[in-house]
Amino acid sequence: MSVFHDEVEIEDFEYDEETETYYFPCPCGDRFAITKEDLENGEEVATCPSCSLIVRVIYDKEEFMSGEIVEAP
Amino acid sequence: MAAGSLASEGLRFFAWGANSHGQLGQGHRQDRVEPGQVEEGDPAGRALRRLAGGGGHSVLLTGAGQLLVCGQNHRGQLGLGHTREVTTFHLCPGPGGQAVEQVACGWDFTLLLTDRGTLYSCGSNAFGQLGVGRPLADSAEPLQIQSLSERVVGLAAGLRHALAVTGSGHVFQWGTGLAAQAKRALCPNPVPAHLNAWEPCLVPGLDHVAPRGVAAGAYHCVCLTAGGDVFLWGSNKHKQLCVSLPFLPLPRCVDRALLGGGPATAVWSGWTHLVARTDSGRVFSWGRADYGQLGRPGDPSETGRSQPAGVPAEVDGLAGATEIACGSEHNLAIVGGRLLSWGWNEHGMCGNGTEVNVSQPQPIPALRGAGPLLIGCGAGHSMALCERRGAPAGRP
Repeated sequence: MSVFHDEVEIEDFEYDEETETYYFPCPCGDRFAITKEDLENGEEVATCPSCSLIVRVIYDKEEFMSGEIVEAP
Repeated sequence: MAAGSLASEGLRFFAWGANSHGQLGQGHRQDRVEPGQVEEGDPAGRALRRLAGGGGHSVLLTGAGQLLVCGQNHRGQLGLGHTREVTTFHLCPGPGGQAVEQVACGWDFTLLLTDRGTLYSCGSNAFGQLGVGRPLADSAEPLQIQSLSERVVGLAAGLRHALAVTGSGHVFQWGTGLAAQAKRALCPNPVPAHLNAWEPCLVPGLDHVAPRGVAAGAYHCVCLTAGGDVFLWGSNKHKQLCVSLPFLPLPRCVDRALLGGGPATAVWSGWTHLVARTDSGRVFSWGRADYGQLGRPGDPSETGRSQPAGVPAEVDGLAGATEIACGSEHNLAIVGGRLLSWGWNEHGMCGNGTEVNVSQPQPIPALRGAGPLLIGCGAGHSMALCERRGAPAGRP
């Protein structure tokens, strides 16, 4: 059993170009967030600033770490 | 200021739970683990008839067809013509000043049905959830969904998709929120049009029944028919569709035997769990269970008759519920004049003064004897309109 609230594909996140951050709805009403830089560093946990829930981001690490641009969903 | 008139009417509006965006309307952004009242301009004075919540916003429908809105507004979901967050209830002019008959809140968008049966939407359109068929990022003004010419009688909004049922019994779906999951699940088969639509698209497979109502989860859809059948489609990640497939592109009827054999008279949906009431007043729940969403403690050793989460089972203590409301992972119910809550409680959405999840329906201590009339939930917040017991005025 994992502690993740959910596992979410990167293509299901909304990308904000200004903050270079990927967002996904959190059940508390705030948003899970993970930056492009985090992904490039191989990070896979998106956190919510308002609560304890976290989600695991499903993405192709090779693709992000090699600096390729992945199209926002 | 309105306190005098409120006291005489005996009506009080309460809100509690997550409040990151001021969605409780109390002028601040701190979560509340117990029901709290609005200090000034209590909405209860306006003969409320529906309390709706989105991800971080709240929309109250008044008896006169006006809207009171507050909370998150970064995509214009409050329909105020601007994108500033407001932490107290503001009167929203509504679509062209028309009276509003029904309202549904999605994650960051809002659907409004006028008394003429015309549908409007405002907020984010990143996934086509406004249904206006245009490459528009968002709208802070309600836009008419012009392509839907049939008279709409019911509507529902999910995270990134929406549903409407018309008087002629057609169900329409729009918003591409389910498309990515559908594509992954159905590959190499194509994604059906209704799961990938920027304008209302007829949902196939319901021609032989008479759709009466719709509800929406985060990534699934619900249709209740006049005959009491429940049809479900979309994501089945948490076994919320009562099947074993991971995704259902088309509506499938829930076996009535799973609901005690009786026709369903109402069905509600959280993000990943469902609650249905049958004609005998029994209430069943199924879907995701890990925060107590189903209201039925899962340890078979305790109950001796526990059902797996994906199989509907009756919830003790909810028989005869007159109203139920589902948040993302929590619920409210009015049973025998008492207001009950259960499910996820990290932000106090169950209103019992703690942040401990509630595994079965429990009365909200602070509202004991409060006389609940209306309830509503946003993703992580809760709302109730109550009348003071013993007050001469009933529901206006």
